[in-house]
Amino acid sequence: MIRIQNLNFAYEADHTPTLNDINLLINEGEYIAVIGPNGCGKTTLIRHLNALLVPTAGEVMFNDLNTRDSKSLREIRSRVGMVFQNPDNQIVGMSVEEDVAFGPGNFGLPAAEVRRRVDHALETVGLTGLEKRRPHNLSGGQKQLLAIAGLLAMDPKIIVLDEPTSSLDPAGKKNVLALLQKLKGQGIGIIHVTHNMDEAAIADRVLVMDGGKLIADGSPDDILSRVEWLKKLGLAPPKVTELMWRLQQVGEDVGSNIFTIEDAVNEITTLLAQLRSSTDYYMPRKVGGHV
Amino acid sequence: MYNLGQYFSRESPVHNRDPRVKIIAVIALSIIILQVNTIGLIVVTGGVIVVSQLAYLPLGSLLRTLRPVLPLFLCLFLLYIFFTPGRPLPWFPTGPVQITYQGLSLGIHQVGKFLLLVLGASILTMTTPQSEITIGLERLLRPIRVIGISSHDIAMMVSLALRFIPALLDEMNSISDAQVARGANFNPRRLSGKVRAISYLAAPLSVNIFRRCDELVDAMEARGYQQGQRTYLRELVLTRADYCLIGALTAVVIAVLV
Repeated sequence: MIRIQNLNFAYEADHTPTLNDINLLINEGEYIAVIGPNGCGKTTLIRHLNALLVPTAGEVMFNDLNTRDSKSLREIRSRVGMVFQNPDNQIVGMSVEEDVAFGPGNFGLPAAEVRRRVDHALETVGLTGLEKRRPHNLSGGQKQLLAIAGLLAMDPKIIVLDEPTSSLDPAGKKNVLALLQKLKGQGIGIIHVTHNMDEAAIADRVLVMDGGKLIADGSPDDILSRVEWLKKLGLAPPKVTELMWRLQQVGEDVGSNIFTIEDAVNEITTLLAQLRSSTDYYMPRKVGGHV
Repeated sequence: MYNLGQYFSRESPVHNRDPRVKIIAVIALSIIILQVNTIGLIVVTGGVIVVSQLAYLPLGSLLRTLRPVLPLFLCLFLLYIFFTPGRPLPWFPTGPVQITYQGLSLGIHQVGKFLLLVLGASILTMTTPQSEITIGLERLLRPIRVIGISSHDIAMMVSLALRFIPALLDEMNSISDAQVARGANFNPRRLSGKVRAISYLAAPLSVNIFRRCDELVDAMEARGYQQGQRTYLRELVLTRADYCLIGALTAVVIAVLV
């Protein structure tokens, strides 16, 4: 569990603060998406979660460990793992297995235990068989999976990801997102910073940030269906949600809390079925043929 | 792509040796080479070739590792033969420059020694994965703890440097591509143009390196890196054969020095 109390943070003392009075409780095993326009403080916020940054004022607590306390630094960092945007710059090892071994090695685990954890982590992310490969030759998606494996080897409670899919191709994206769902199923909490609202839709909870403040906190249903509000913030709601919203605007009877193509298909077919069975349905079934 | 002296995956008695033994062997080679005479040099050369064959290294690719250093050694050779005082060679046309017997023999000896050293180092890198070299280095450097430097930190630096060489080459290529696309000329005739072309490449490259460093430091800290003690995936264990080899090498070095 992470508890953030009155968190304020400024990169330089007399500048306007990057984070303003943030209060937040993150429960164990939650899948949280963090959205917000560029420069709203998302990255700054998540860097507080594993003590890469320390608050200017306020507290960030992981269970009962304070991120200000340098003695609990290692413990916090092994429990709260972080994946960065650029997959290239977070790989340390000269081979896939060595990179995964970097984290456990830092904690001084014996070689046999390191080996066990490396094999297990690579199996979880599906990179078994690539142990000896040079990380440099992996695809972007595989590099991000490798970065996640490096965290899993440290046995984390929460994994924080800063736009992990922004430089990946669709297949790579899909693999990473599927892995996140799988990890959530294993009870690992996920905090996923993203610009992509389709990715935010699969979370349990969505946080919206703007101007260094937390301006909304709710379920994807709540947040992503506020199409107009999101657009005003400079965020793009999921395409299907926006389509539904537009249909609502022209007076069709559809819900706007629809985030996937499947849901949209269901909603539209229901609507069409209603229309077909209603009395004022008079459209010709075949254009140009016998009616 | 640069792959001279890169690891050759084979199953051989040389590959199977502990990396520490091989590193010690290269150090021993460099000491021995500086001390020996012509016959000794031939014997050592024979020894190096035997080791390379025990490792099933194709002689061709081994010799190719010498190519990048050849121009340098050619210069060295010319300096030796022209600038060593002594008895001039009779059939060389007289004039302001002279080649001396002593110069010729010194040139051949010295350049031969250097080439042999490069060959020895190449055998090390061709039979040992980089990761093993770094771990071996770390273990060998452990005694420097007494002066307050952690051998783990040095091994970390070496392995990061090796890890980022291909990434930086990629980066350099993409920068030069971007500049060529905007009309830069990387093969100008005049020297001043060449220097300018390099400076156009160096500035953005160094900026990018610093940015990468920042991100890398964050990623390493996030994974719990702290200076000092850490463990590795592999633990090195010296076998009896390894101990014997180290003993034999030490004996040879002492014999040559005394």
